[in-house]
Order: sequence, then structure tokens, then C-alpha cells
Amino acid sequence: MSNSQNPVARKERLVIQEMPDEVLVYDLETNKAHCLNQTAAFVWKSCDGENSVADIVSQFEQTSGSRVQEDLIWLAIDQLNERNLLEKDLPTKFVGQSRRSVLKKIGLASMVALPVIASLTAPTAVMAVNCSGVAASCLGCPDGTRCNENLDAVIGTCAAGVCNGD
Amino acid sequence: MKKESTAVKSESFKQIYICSFGVKIEIKYDCALFTESELIESLHKTLPNGFEIIGNEQITHHFDVFTRYRNEELLFVIHKEKEHLVAARTREDILDCLESKVRLTVAEFAVGKVFLHAGVVGWKGKALVLPGNSFHGKTTLVAELVKKGAEYFSDEYAVLDEYGFVHPFPKMLSMRGIIDKIQQLDVPVERFGGKAAQKPLEVGLILLTEFEKEAIWNPVVMSPGEGVLEILSHTIPIRYKPEFSLKVLNKITNRATITKTRRGEASVFADLILDFFEKQTI
Repeated sequence: MSNSQNPVARKERLVIQEMPDEVLVYDLETNKAHCLNQTAAFVWKSCDGENSVADIVSQFEQTSGSRVQEDLIWLAIDQLNERNLLEKDLPTKFVGQSRRSVLKKIGLASMVALPVIASLTAPTAVMAVNCSGVAASCLGCPDGTRCNENLDAVIGTCAAGVCNGD
Repeated sequence: MKKESTAVKSESFKQIYICSFGVKIEIKYDCALFTESELIESLHKTLPNGFEIIGNEQITHHFDVFTRYRNEELLFVIHKEKEHLVAARTREDILDCLESKVRLTVAEFAVGKVFLHAGVVGWKGKALVLPGNSFHGKTTLVAELVKKGAEYFSDEYAVLDEYGFVHPFPKMLSMRGIIDKIQQLDVPVERFGGKAAQKPLEVGLILLTEFEKEAIWNPVVMSPGEGVLEILSHTIPIRYKPEFSLKVLNKITNRATITKTRRGEASVFADLILDFFEKQTI
């Protein structure tokens, strides 16, 4: 039954690519890409607003054939929440606990892979080519990028070999 | 304090309109800087797959190349869409910049293709793609692989089609370390005893590798998802066309092995790489 406390996966403004054991999600609003491992992907797909966390635990146990703690599902939900992959924020279950201690606690008790979401901000075209090494121009590059002073004389953003954003 | 810059008045501006990979570009330039034939020669160098000279309809990208003074110093300037892009102190430098900016524009907006910032060679019917940042030894490694008999595709861009094949983009190799550590010298692939590929190939291996002194060859195979995430950093049109880019990368990573390792000197590691490539793909 639908309950406003149940987690709901965000669907709008996302590009989703299914991979053999992972799901790749590209957020068009933030230009961030997220790689969800199998566990995280399962939880995300189960967040349909109908399933409670207890339902997701039970479905996960059926699919994986292993018993899991509810905290494992909450760990996935926490990460999905942090990355803006849920429709609305849910309060964290692990208030006052470090991620490391939570991982340790769940990891020791778990027979299945912990949920992992790796993320990366997609570069602009200029950054993908120009902002590594010694940039020919500071335009589009973050401050601190090494640059070639001879090629960027007019706007003066390349000072002493470093883009400074002036 | 910087003085306001003033454009140098010139009586003679010209435009040419080109189309490469479906990208239509106008280049408006001061004739005092270079001739049309010099510009066309330069564009042929930067766009090795060629381009068409077209009419001025449906142009979507505009470059202006001109001169201006700042603090009594003559500067050569490029604007793109009327915004300052880059300036240089010499005519040669500004022509080099124009080449790379036009090439980048084509790479970002190419129709039906995804450009990765990567070196590429072909070996025994499959392609080895080497994504990497500038100054991390991509060209040096490609040159060494070509010396070992690999077919040359590119030292800068892997051009991927919707089926996941990589196409040749055989510009001259931009070698550093000949003039100094920063400046590049364009060297034809024939200088390394190699030849440019003519046909597209399926990608066999994507090797994420960076030069590090005294590195140990320790290739770690990545999952397709992790691999795509790493490759995204080198994917030129990812923000412009994320859906198509991810579809193409997904296709490639489902078929090819993706591996990451640090490496030492290219001349030493080229053999190891080709040996690993054969074991993984052939």
C-alpha cells in the first residue's frame, strides 16, 4: 500500500543505462553520473512508493537467497538520498554514526555485497581535453589549473602558470 | 592596471564555412593574419577526416580571429560566439589554438559520433583505446605501439559510432619533449614506420593508464559500470548528448575489457600492453 513514508525512486531528468550487474544513472540536472552496484540498483528499483523498507528487505532476501538486516537496505537508501536519486528526502537512519562504523557493522553481518554508489561529475568538453596537464586557456577550467601564460594574455586569468579566475 | 584592449581596425575580413562530422562552422578571420589557403591547410591538418566547404546556411558555431592591442602589445585573439576564447602573442600560436578549438567543437557536436579524449591503435583486427589526460604520455605510448607494428588511429580522439566501432582520426602525432616540455611538434605517423588505419574496428580493450616513474604493470580489470564512470572523464560530448554518449559507451564496455594500471616508460611497456591485449581479446 502506498505510504508517504515509503521511498520513491526519482525518474525525471535522469538517463538510465542498465548494465549486466550494475545500473548507470546520469542526472541531467547536476551533470553527475552514478554507478549503482547490484545491491544499490535493486533497492533503487524497489523504491516505487508502494514498498516499505520492510517489503524491500523481504524482496531482497527472496532474490538473493540470503537473510539481510534492514540496515543494509537503509544504507542503500541513505546513499540514494545523498545523491538526489529519491523523490523526497528521507531522514537518515544512522544519526550520530559514522559511515565507516555503519559499514563495518553491516558488512560483518552480511553475506551479500554492500550497496555501493560511485559518482562522478561529468566534465565539460573543455575540461575533458584542456584542463588537465597545462591548459592552453583558463576559460572553463577550475582555479588552480596549470596553464600556459603565453596563450592567455588578454583576460589575464593565467597568472604565474596557474588559472586564478580574476 | 590593465589598459582596456582595443581591436585593430582592419579593412579585410573574410569568412569560410565548413562542415565536418555534420558540424557547421563559420570562421571569420582578418586577412592580414593568414591567407585562405593557409587556413584551409591548417584545417586539413586538424581535421584529418576532411571537411566540406559549404554555404552560409544553418551555421551553428562561429569563430572570429583578429588582432587587438593591450598595453601596447599586439595580441592575436579568437572569439567563439562573440565571447573571448583565447589570445596569443604569435600568429603561429593563434593558428594552433584555432586548430584545436575547431577540432574540439567538432568533437563535442559531431552528429552520430562520440569522441573520447584518447589515443587509439589497431592490433590484429581489434582496437586498443587509451583514454587519458594531456601530459600523461598518450602520444608517446601510441608512437611506441605504432613502432611495434600497430595500426595508427589517433593520438587524440577515439571516434565511436552508434554500433560501438572506433573510426580512424589520424591527425599527425603531437609530440612533446622535442622543442620543450609544453610545446608540441606535429610528426607524421610514417616517421615512426607506421601507417594510418583506413577502416573502423571493434574495440577490444580500453586501457586507462598513466605514466609514473618506476611504475609496476598491474592491470586491474574493471566492471563495465566502473569502467564507464572512468571513461566519462574523457568523453567530450557527455554534457551535450548524455543519452547517446552513455548508450555508445555501454555498447563498448559490454564487449571490451576495461583495465586500469600505471605504467613506466612507453618503450618498455608497449610490448607488455600488446601481449596483454592479445590475451584479453584475441
